[in-house]
Amino acid sequence: MKQKLFLILFLLFITLNISGCWSKKELNEIAIILGTGVDYTKDNKIQLTYQLARPAAFGGGGMGGGPGGGAAMNQNITWVISATGDTVFDAQDKLSQQVSRHLYLGHNVVLILGERLCRHGVKDVNNFFHRQPLSRGTVWVMATPQEAKKVLESHSELQITSAQAVGFLARFRTGYAVKFRDFSQDLASRGTDPVLTRVELKNQGVAQGPGLEKVHHHQEIVITGTAIFKGDKLIGWLDSRETQGLRCIKGEMHEMRITVPSPIYPDKNISLKVIAGNTKIEPAYQKGEIKFYLTVRAEVDLIEQQDEEDFTQPEMIKIVENKAAAEIRQHIKTTLDKVQGEYKVDSFGFGEAFHCKHKREWSMLKNRWDEEFTNAQVYLTVKVKLRDTGMQGRRASLKK
Amino acid sequence: MFDFFKSKKTQEATKLESPGVKEQAWRSQKLKTSLKENLTTLHFILADCSDVVFREFNFAQLPDIRLALIYVDGLADKIQVSNFVMRTLSLEVPPALPKEYKISKAQAFDFIRDRGLCIHQIDETDSLARLIDAIMSGDTVLLVDGHARAIINSARGWEARSIQDSKTDVVVRGPRESFVETLRTNTSLLRRRIKNPALKIEVRPIGQITRTDVAVIYIKGVVYPGLVTEVKERLSRIEIDAVLESGYLEELIDDNPLSPFCTINHTDRVDKVAAMLLEGRAAILTDGSPYVLTVPTLFNEIIQSPEDYYQRYFFYSLIRLIRLIALIFFVTAPAIYVALLTFHQEMLPTALLLSIAGQREAVPFPTIVEVLLMDLTFETLREAGIRMPQPVGQAVSIVGAIVIGDASVRAGLVSPATVIAVALTGIASFTLCYAGTLSLRLIRFPLTMIAAFTGLFGLITSLIILITHLASLRSFGIPFLYPVMPLSPAELKDVVVRAPWWAMLTRPHLLGKENLHRMKAGLKPKPPEKRK
Repeated sequence: MKQKLFLILFLLFITLNISGCWSKKELNEIAIILGTGVDYTKDNKIQLTYQLARPAAFGGGGMGGGPGGGAAMNQNITWVISATGDTVFDAQDKLSQQVSRHLYLGHNVVLILGERLCRHGVKDVNNFFHRQPLSRGTVWVMATPQEAKKVLESHSELQITSAQAVGFLARFRTGYAVKFRDFSQDLASRGTDPVLTRVELKNQGVAQGPGLEKVHHHQEIVITGTAIFKGDKLIGWLDSRETQGLRCIKGEMHEMRITVPSPIYPDKNISLKVIAGNTKIEPAYQKGEIKFYLTVRAEVDLIEQQDEEDFTQPEMIKIVENKAAAEIRQHIKTTLDKVQGEYKVDSFGFGEAFHCKHKREWSMLKNRWDEEFTNAQVYLTVKVKLRDTGMQGRRASLKK
Repeated sequence: MFDFFKSKKTQEATKLESPGVKEQAWRSQKLKTSLKENLTTLHFILADCSDVVFREFNFAQLPDIRLALIYVDGLADKIQVSNFVMRTLSLEVPPALPKEYKISKAQAFDFIRDRGLCIHQIDETDSLARLIDAIMSGDTVLLVDGHARAIINSARGWEARSIQDSKTDVVVRGPRESFVETLRTNTSLLRRRIKNPALKIEVRPIGQITRTDVAVIYIKGVVYPGLVTEVKERLSRIEIDAVLESGYLEELIDDNPLSPFCTINHTDRVDKVAAMLLEGRAAILTDGSPYVLTVPTLFNEIIQSPEDYYQRYFFYSLIRLIRLIALIFFVTAPAIYVALLTFHQEMLPTALLLSIAGQREAVPFPTIVEVLLMDLTFETLREAGIRMPQPVGQAVSIVGAIVIGDASVRAGLVSPATVIAVALTGIASFTLCYAGTLSLRLIRFPLTMIAAFTGLFGLITSLIILITHLASLRSFGIPFLYPVMPLSPAELKDVVVRAPWWAMLTRPHLLGKENLHRMKAGLKPKPPEKRK
């Protein structure tokens, strides 16, 4: 009996050891991918670009006196490589033959899609990133009017790598940020057309200090708006201002800035920051007519005033609240006009809301939803509450 | 030439060999009436024991009575023996006696016992074995001619280490005394803390050769019922030649001889043992060792320190939590580090991963080799720190710090992150009760290996197995993980946190069920009732 037990334990132990080290990958056997770019080449092939971290460039403690964590001087921090193929995997296969380590997608921060690919349709490449177990659903997906490869071949002045930098930009909601899982969800949904963050490589900052005059202008990845898709194909862009409207409709208003004209002093402005906000879409279907009642609620803080409006007066607060509401309404109107009127797509999820409420009608409408939505009427209600006007009764710098 | 050998052989045959440890026949003998015969026997048994002193002299009252003192030089207090035994008997006639008072030979023994000795504790015996044991433990034996009995004078006094600070359980606030090697001193230390006749000290010799005194100590009426009988039963089972340290006993009375975990704790702190006794435990003191065994032992003792009970409870509850975290860290930190770096890189934040990857770039070994290398170095240094002769201590610590901290990193043998991970485990282990950490130090290595083979999955599986094993252990009938498993929520007041004294109304329920209440309820200080 005891021997039998021993044998069983021994076999278990052996099994553990034989299977042991399966999927083991040492840290210096992996090539950490921080940014991924996909382009569609002129000869209709898929071009895959990886931005790989070069660990030797940072934190080389073994070298002695190496900067801990930061980037070392005169070294490439990342290594950007690309290959073309018929499929994404085909391209990756070519890359893996060129890279001496396992390509490791677990820490991929951004997936940047080039404009040509977006116009051609993203469904072809989307699947690869779904099937990769290590590719996260939290990867930021972005579209660029430039070539994705060019965008990734950049470097950040503040962050270690440009991929991380643009990831932080997305996280801090400077535009409308889309995660891979949301993007895929929107692609699969008939009620929502997907949108992506638009990024571009832009000249940022001027060379400073002696000896730096000849250094070429630094280029940084920045968020410049939103890409609007119809189905899986790009059909147009929104600029940063129109993106604000999109965020209002999508209910992603947190940290949004609103600037309104001063109610008393002409040519002066007041800046507000949204600290909390939500959006409710109420669909209605009457006699073949689709209507949407959009209710936007926002709570704002006063951030800046150019003159001395007296916020101790409740009336003043009321006026500013109304002005802010009008501003938000204006944002939404502009965006709606462009997306609904010009691009004729539903990027906002109105269809989903309609689907939830009118299940029976949805099954008839879903195949031609974009056309139906174009004709739909959207009624707007915007409610703004000014929460905090600051501790100053009035501006301290003004003479009494 | 042959003749020479022959004659020697016959000579030896006629001379009796003194008995060794195997010949125990003399142990059943009784004393004889004749002093001469007795002395011959003793000389025979104690032959070649150069430290035994035989001192014969005449009794002052009745000079034809010969007396003999036998004691071990160095174990008996010479001043006491010469001043209060020999002087009184050989020179000073007890002054209160009338001149004409004469003692007959037959009365001599009783007279000496009752009026002739100025020794605080005496005993009499007629057994040779008892006599020899008494001599060997430092008592002075007085033989009186014509009597088949002996008086045992307890005039012990030998060179002993003085009472010092505890070396292993250090506290900032709290009593500093720790046990020493002498059993009697140790029992006195305990008695000074618990001045109650219910504190029972039962002594028995264990070890056929060493005849070491082993004391079982408990508080009658508080001790866990049946515990004392069980302890005594387990002790009486032991037939061993020597007990040089309590560790011998520990392994012989352990519940789980095959487990890496020791379910009998030891300490050299007096206050800790006293507290244990008051919780319903029993203590086993061994002569010759300052380390006292306390049974039953619970796993949570590893995160308890005597100081917890002396300092303000708020802060020391936090310290308990820190120790708990340190315990988890101590056992699993290298394993988690290895698992994360070889299998689950995605669990690290990107910036941290890049930083560690950068550090590891120059390291030629896999993470597991690196960690084991570092861990073994650390254990070696720790062992060296204990074992090294004190004068070279500084050299070792300097070399250790440089080897561990700096040179190995600079040489590219290990990455700084590994040094941090291993150093943290090392530091964490020092926050815990030293006696309890030994088995965990061992467990750490297989855990690290498993983590390197199977990642977090294997690590969690092994931890589950480990906890299952711990839960299956018993220490003298008490579950080792009590009060966490089986869960006794009320008891957690002294596990994860340390409740204030006015809230610890009861002893641990399972241990102290004989006498559950420690104190009156409602002792929490409060403002006085309004005065009139």
